[in-house]
Amino acid sequence: MSRREGSLEDPQADSTISLLPHLEAKIRQTHSLARLLTKYAEQLFQEYVQHQGDPFGLPGFSPPRLPVAGLSAPAPGHAGLPAPERLRLDAAALIALPPLLEVVRRHQAELNPRAPRLLRRLEDAARQARALGAAVEAVLAALGTETRGPRPEPAAAAAAAAAAAATGAGVFPAKVLGLRVCGLYREWVSRTEGDLGQLVPSGPA
Amino acid sequence: MPAGRPGPAAQSARRPPPLLPLLLLCVLGAPRAGSGAHTAVISPQDPTLLIGSSLQATCSVHGDPSGATAEGLYWTLNGRRLAPELSRVLNASTLALALANLNGSRQQSGDNLVCHARDGSILAGSCLYVGLPPEKPFNISCWSKNMKDLTCRWTPGAHGETFLHTNYSLKYKLRWYGQDNTCEEYHTVGPHSCHIPKDLALFTPYEIWVEATNRLGSARSDVLTLDILDVVTTDPPPDVHVSRVGGLEDQLSVRWVSPPALKDFLFQAKYQIRYRVEDSVDWKVVDDVSNQTSCRLAGLKPGTVYFVQVRCNPFGIYGSKKAGIWSEWSHPTAASTPRSERPGPGGGACEPRGGEPSSGPVRRELKQFLGWLKKHAYCSNLSFRLYDQWRAWMQKSHKTRNQDEGILPSGRRGTTRGPAR
Repeated sequence: MSRREGSLEDPQADSTISLLPHLEAKIRQTHSLARLLTKYAEQLFQEYVQHQGDPFGLPGFSPPRLPVAGLSAPAPGHAGLPAPERLRLDAAALIALPPLLEVVRRHQAELNPRAPRLLRRLEDAARQARALGAAVEAVLAALGTETRGPRPEPAAAAAAAAAAAATGAGVFPAKVLGLRVCGLYREWVSRTEGDLGQLVPSGPA
Repeated sequence: MPAGRPGPAAQSARRPPPLLPLLLLCVLGAPRAGSGAHTAVISPQDPTLLIGSSLQATCSVHGDPSGATAEGLYWTLNGRRLAPELSRVLNASTLALALANLNGSRQQSGDNLVCHARDGSILAGSCLYVGLPPEKPFNISCWSKNMKDLTCRWTPGAHGETFLHTNYSLKYKLRWYGQDNTCEEYHTVGPHSCHIPKDLALFTPYEIWVEATNRLGSARSDVLTLDILDVVTTDPPPDVHVSRVGGLEDQLSVRWVSPPALKDFLFQAKYQIRYRVEDSVDWKVVDDVSNQTSCRLAGLKPGTVYFVQVRCNPFGIYGSKKAGIWSEWSHPTAASTPRSERPGPGGGACEPRGGEPSSGPVRRELKQFLGWLKKHAYCSNLSFRLYDQWRAWMQKSHKTRNQDEGILPSGRRGTTRGPAR
């Protein structure tokens, strides 16, 4: 176990990792899932901006990147963290996303009721984020690494409840919120793919 | 609170959904803690306006007063910078905007009106909803499949273009009692349709109408009153079989089964047959095939593949006096007429509407003659069947004679045979 953890903290030594076959398969599967969801997250982002109207889809459009309660973007130093810590952060973010994606979906159901594909993608994204988060946690457990205690769901649920209770904030800020959430989803799924990719043993599956 | 909202119609429009977290700093009016950044508020927030109307808006900057002035601010609408002459500085921290003769909103989520700082950064945004109130929906039509459900379709007023999301709601109630009900399954047969799947009463009229609502108002269609039994349709007849009639080269026999869902009620059902040549798009229709489940097509081209379809109209069900509604056509069934050297005489019990002129009158006259013979000459055994048997015999004899005399199927003479007739 400690030999395994030691190799996790040294990403350059992956050629010497001798992972159990089932663990290797799990990592590969989760990595493949993350790769697929990265593609879907990009599609969701593009579909979202299309339905909000210009300037949302225009190059150079840059609303304030303000933090979302319960979730932030990957920190600049994320790549330098030990692998278990990176995966823990990935899992925590993925698990925090579904309530926020649901808020965005409900809002878009009122703003864009004739955009069924957008609404379906938002619904799917919430499920996919939850599934990928659970898969990453399973990888961490298989690696013998603890996940970070209680899930951050209460914080995310609180953010979603506050979102539902807030009044008078306006449609434009709500569009920006959705853009931010879809962007965070895309960033974290992509980040997870990268982090898992470093664990995938080289050579054919 | 936004100022300058439009009149009562817009007041009744839906407010923007309250879905932002209190802690979420995407509310662009809230200053970022400790940063000294400028933010602003646009008023009115998310107004709803009629096409052609005007808008007066303001962008008021908050934050560090030394840096936040109205000078240098500018507006964009849907990403396009607005001309400076449309703006004016009201005071040190407020920039006003005047837009006239507004066009309909470009997207249903609202036009994006944004207030920018001198460096282009976004300070605040507001979404404009510019459109028209709905007009009265009309042309409601409904039908019931096998008396089990009801589907209705309608046309939106003003061709449906209001530039705003318009919600259509189909309502129905029993005419003399009962509460209003709302249909729930929309877009079943097109964008303006709804399906009521169950719990419908027979022998009592329903009142049906459509309500259209958007941010600028609502409209209601006229009420349609109907009894389910008067708008019944059914499934196409199953098991349609098309076959040759012996050796008759100009006829095909069509048989089908009464639609099973209503087969115990179809005492007066009407059927209609249509058929076409394989490589043609023109259908010929045989009307009013009343209450039979078979028909013979006559006057067809020999050696030709035909596609045939049948449909059913369950009129008169439970004594209804209304015309009934035709089912969909059955799946096409194909068959070919036998090949022949000479064209068939044509005409028959199920003559086509646009039948070949040379065949129709001959067969009709023959029918009249046979009818007269039966009455006056006591030839009770005479019938079309007998006539068709005679024709089949004639054709066989003709073929046999041709073979004996060396005439090939194409009419050419064989080289080893005798002279042609």
